[in-house]
Amino acid sequence: MHLRYRAAYGFLAPYLLIFAVFWIWPIISSFIMSFQNTRVNPWVFNPGATWGRLFIDPAFYNALKNTMIILVIQVPVMITLATIMAVLLNSPLLKAKGLFRFAFFAPVVVGEVAYAAVFRLMFNLDFGIINKLLLSIGIPAVSWFSETPAAMSLLIIAVTWRWAGYNAIIILSGLQSIPEDVYEAATLDRVSKVKQFIHITLPLLKPIIVFCVVLSIIGSMQLFIEPMLITNRGGPGGGTETLGLFLYRQGFASSNFGYASSIAYTMAVLAILISLLNMWIGREAK
Amino acid sequence: MRLSFFGATTLAAMLSINSVSAFADTKEITIWSWNIAAASLKTTLEGFNKLNPDIKVIVEDLGNQQVYDKTLALCAAGGEDLPDIVQFENFEAEMFWNRFPDCFTNLKELGYTSEIQAKFPDFKRVELEVGDVAYAMPWDSGPVAVFYRRDFYEKAGVDPATIKTWDDFIAAGKKVATANPGVVMAQADFNGDSEWFRMISNEQACGFFSGDGQSITINEPGCVSALDKIKQMKDAGILTAGNWNEKLQSSAGGTVASQLYGAWYEGSIRSNIPALSGKWGVYLMPSITSDGVHAANIGGSALAISNGSKNKEAAWTYLNYALGSDEAQISMLKGFGLVPSLLSSVKQPFVEETQPYWGGQKVWSDILATLPKIVPSRGTAFQSDADGIYKAVQTKYFAGGYPDAKAALDDAAQQIAVATGLPIAQ
Repeated sequence: MHLRYRAAYGFLAPYLLIFAVFWIWPIISSFIMSFQNTRVNPWVFNPGATWGRLFIDPAFYNALKNTMIILVIQVPVMITLATIMAVLLNSPLLKAKGLFRFAFFAPVVVGEVAYAAVFRLMFNLDFGIINKLLLSIGIPAVSWFSETPAAMSLLIIAVTWRWAGYNAIIILSGLQSIPEDVYEAATLDRVSKVKQFIHITLPLLKPIIVFCVVLSIIGSMQLFIEPMLITNRGGPGGGTETLGLFLYRQGFASSNFGYASSIAYTMAVLAILISLLNMWIGREAK
Repeated sequence: MRLSFFGATTLAAMLSINSVSAFADTKEITIWSWNIAAASLKTTLEGFNKLNPDIKVIVEDLGNQQVYDKTLALCAAGGEDLPDIVQFENFEAEMFWNRFPDCFTNLKELGYTSEIQAKFPDFKRVELEVGDVAYAMPWDSGPVAVFYRRDFYEKAGVDPATIKTWDDFIAAGKKVATANPGVVMAQADFNGDSEWFRMISNEQACGFFSGDGQSITINEPGCVSALDKIKQMKDAGILTAGNWNEKLQSSAGGTVASQLYGAWYEGSIRSNIPALSGKWGVYLMPSITSDGVHAANIGGSALAISNGSKNKEAAWTYLNYALGSDEAQISMLKGFGLVPSLLSSVKQPFVEETQPYWGGQKVWSDILATLPKIVPSRGTAFQSDADGIYKAVQTKYFAGGYPDAKAALDDAAQQIAVATGLPIAQ
């Protein structure tokens, strides 16, 4: 080998070594593990106990279904809210803009454990403020943590609360990059504010919104902390168990590393498929 | 310290050298435990340090789930960084010995002789020993009882002595709720646990797995009647959802009239709600039929010594004192209501005493009398799988996803068979 290359690889060696040990090897190792029954000593090759189980395991389909429900409901709701918030924030009528921007962004800054604990208290059946408010307007108290639809709504509310402001700030930056004179021209042509929003603002915002959607989809695919802490490990009875949580439960509660590895690979394949879909949609946008 | 050392006479200097060397001999051992179990271990330290002044015991209260999660992760990583002693719930323990046979020490090598082993009942030992290896020493058991608010029951005209069946319990629950607005009869953790099912099915001599741990029995009649009864209670509105913390909040806030739990809940109520002293009482759990056993077990723990411990001898000395002496066992029972597994401790005079917190009731002699009637129940190495599946099935059943309890548990049995590879008992 040429001396130059040798020197270059010499300098690269520390990184390559770490990359091989902490990235390449775990990827290979978990792939091998995904074909092994790891619940016997020593581990044996038995893909039926991992891949075979995956396709007939109702708990896996349940976790997949829950992740998809969150994806399909939460992401559009949050992006719509974020867009409305951004437009309002951008309004020239608004005073104390800095304060509002900070307030919308603040949920992301709050620690996850702290916000989960506060949500658990707020939605407490007997003593939570949400149920007290519902009762005061004549709606019966909701058992937020023990009924599946309620728990799922709670999860969606929590994630939306946390991330809507963050997305609103990103969309706001997009709004501010739209030149004022476009609106001025439209106003001179007597185009109503609503029509301006639909025909000017939204099309010009599209790349930014697509970016937010992609980020949110990735976030939802990896959703773990909220169902772990707020709905107590995907409760009730797996009603809010996401794929990430299902993997964790198999790996670190049932100590079934082989099965957990096959779940991890399935999640990776799903992520690739969804990314391809995103790229396809993004291409069409041009 | 330093100043006095330099300014001291030769004698004092020698003394302080002595104390330095004594300090060097002091062994430190750390224990991972949770809730009142951790608090009760602390009550044994005074007595222990009188006998062993050179062993310093540090009890860390991590919370139940954290101890399990961290121990599992560390065992999977080779067992480094574990504390010297770890608490296990009996029914979850087998998975550790099964998957990580080298993570914990064989206590027999440290002095856990067959004479000491014989001081504990078999049902507590079966999950802790594999062949000739004893991985953990039994600690407490959890004979189930109903803890109830005397004032709420009285106001409703309900005499707990007449509650013999779960149907009686439902009828009483409706009266209690009517007489005490805003109060519910009892709470179950429908969000994250299966405790009511495990208690009532154990009472009906049924469990997730057979006694030998080799087959699945969750769809047998005892379990079916347990699930059926729980749904009836939920539908009647006398059983609402509450997790561990919410149960304590409701108990303290006066919005619940009874809690069904293992005897260790005595300590949780007494230490968390001192203001309600005298208002609580205890009665035996109802059964499906009035001639049922009215006895079950839930929870109950054991202590194991990690293989990575640098002070195994000291850890064993502590284990043998805390779990193997009447003095320590009674101090934990007195302090936090942990029911000793040690057979000799349940005959100690304290058990016969009236308890002021419980309105002068002799709660311990009442609860401990159920011990001989408890049917052993095996957690097995697949406890976590089965429990996860059961909880999902229970939620689906409550939401109307199955025609009846039998169909629900047949489905649970099928799923457990897929997850574990074990056969369903015929």
